[in-house]
Amino acid sequence: MHIPDGFIAPQMYLPLYGLAAGLWAYGAKRVARELDEATLPWLAALTAASFALSFIALPLPGGTSAHVTGVGLLAASFGIWNAFMAASMVFAIQALLFGDGGVTTLPLNALAMGFAGALAARGLYLALRRWPIVALFAAGWIGLCLPSLLIALALGAQPLIAHDAAGAPLYFPFGWSVTLPALLIPHALLGLGEGALTVLGGRLIERLRLRYRND
Amino acid sequence: MTEPGKLAAYLIILLAASWLTSPAWLAAGLGAVLMLSGLDAGRLLRRALLATAAFSGTVSLAYMAYYWWQTRSLPLDWLLTVNLRVLLMALLTFLFIARVDLFQALAFSRRLSFLLVLAVSQSLGLKRTLEEFRLGLQSRCPRPAGLRARYRAAAHAAAWLLDRALANAHESAQAMQSRGVFR
Repeated sequence: MHIPDGFIAPQMYLPLYGLAAGLWAYGAKRVARELDEATLPWLAALTAASFALSFIALPLPGGTSAHVTGVGLLAASFGIWNAFMAASMVFAIQALLFGDGGVTTLPLNALAMGFAGALAARGLYLALRRWPIVALFAAGWIGLCLPSLLIALALGAQPLIAHDAAGAPLYFPFGWSVTLPALLIPHALLGLGEGALTVLGGRLIERLRLRYRND
Repeated sequence: MTEPGKLAAYLIILLAASWLTSPAWLAAGLGAVLMLSGLDAGRLLRRALLATAAFSGTVSLAYMAYYWWQTRSLPLDWLLTVNLRVLLMALLTFLFIARVDLFQALAFSRRLSFLLVLAVSQSLGLKRTLEEFRLGLQSRCPRPAGLRARYRAAAHAAAWLLDRALANAHESAQAMQSRGVFR
């Protein structure tokens, strides 16, 4: 479920835009250095894959389902900056072309999921790479759980940073005592499914890369 | 107004709307955007309501219950302010989507336009096929598919998706190379 515009206070999203803009500029520079006939379609395809992955439902007992983010998979397989730029493009496309999510929540999503999630996933993947299956699973799990922690912290901070004279919240109303368990517990469990899919996806990507390299 | 100008205007108005905390100003803003939407007002309002209902509804109901439990009253000011703000900002976005060509708005950067066109066209193609996979699974199961079947379907869909994405990258690279796009 995406956070729509109107729940995150400008006191938070404006500094986050500043931080995200710096990282986007640096990421674009890194990608642009190699942005040519080979890398531009590659980034576009990663963006499309990341976008479409979010439509794959991860079945849960009881007939419900959750959706894959694919950040851990992208970071483990293609690196932090590719994952960050692709995920940011996806959030921008979802917000500006489909009205899904918000423009003011874009930097929070991009930093939490695209950057911190990708950074942690890539770091854990590299640290555990001697055991490839464990490394991919851990990358998928942390790629989902760390962003949920950061988003819970950001949402829970809203009543503290934006309230009226009487102390009543003006944006998202719940504090950390609600947001942390509400987001962390389900995501810790959903992370198991994301981890399993990251193992399958990561191994498949390795095989496909070899095939396309040899073509 | 040019398309990049409209994009800038949309972002400025959205920023201003996000600062509003008075229900009267938010309602006035909502009225103004509905008037600007003209004949599309009803359709855009419905889309905005549908896009925000799940999150806003969940948070509003949970906060109403929490507030009632604490004070035996309802947080009417909060409900009005936040829901009007969320609706106003969503409506602005849907009006922008309906009236502005994002591809034209980003035309100031050739590479950004290329990236957007490639990413969006591939995204829509992949999304359509995933929907066909979902319908395919549904049509082949006389009863709702079990957990195991749905996991297998999700895994196969993800495998197909990654294969298609890498193939698309490979094909687009060859196509751009053969047409000398970056020369």
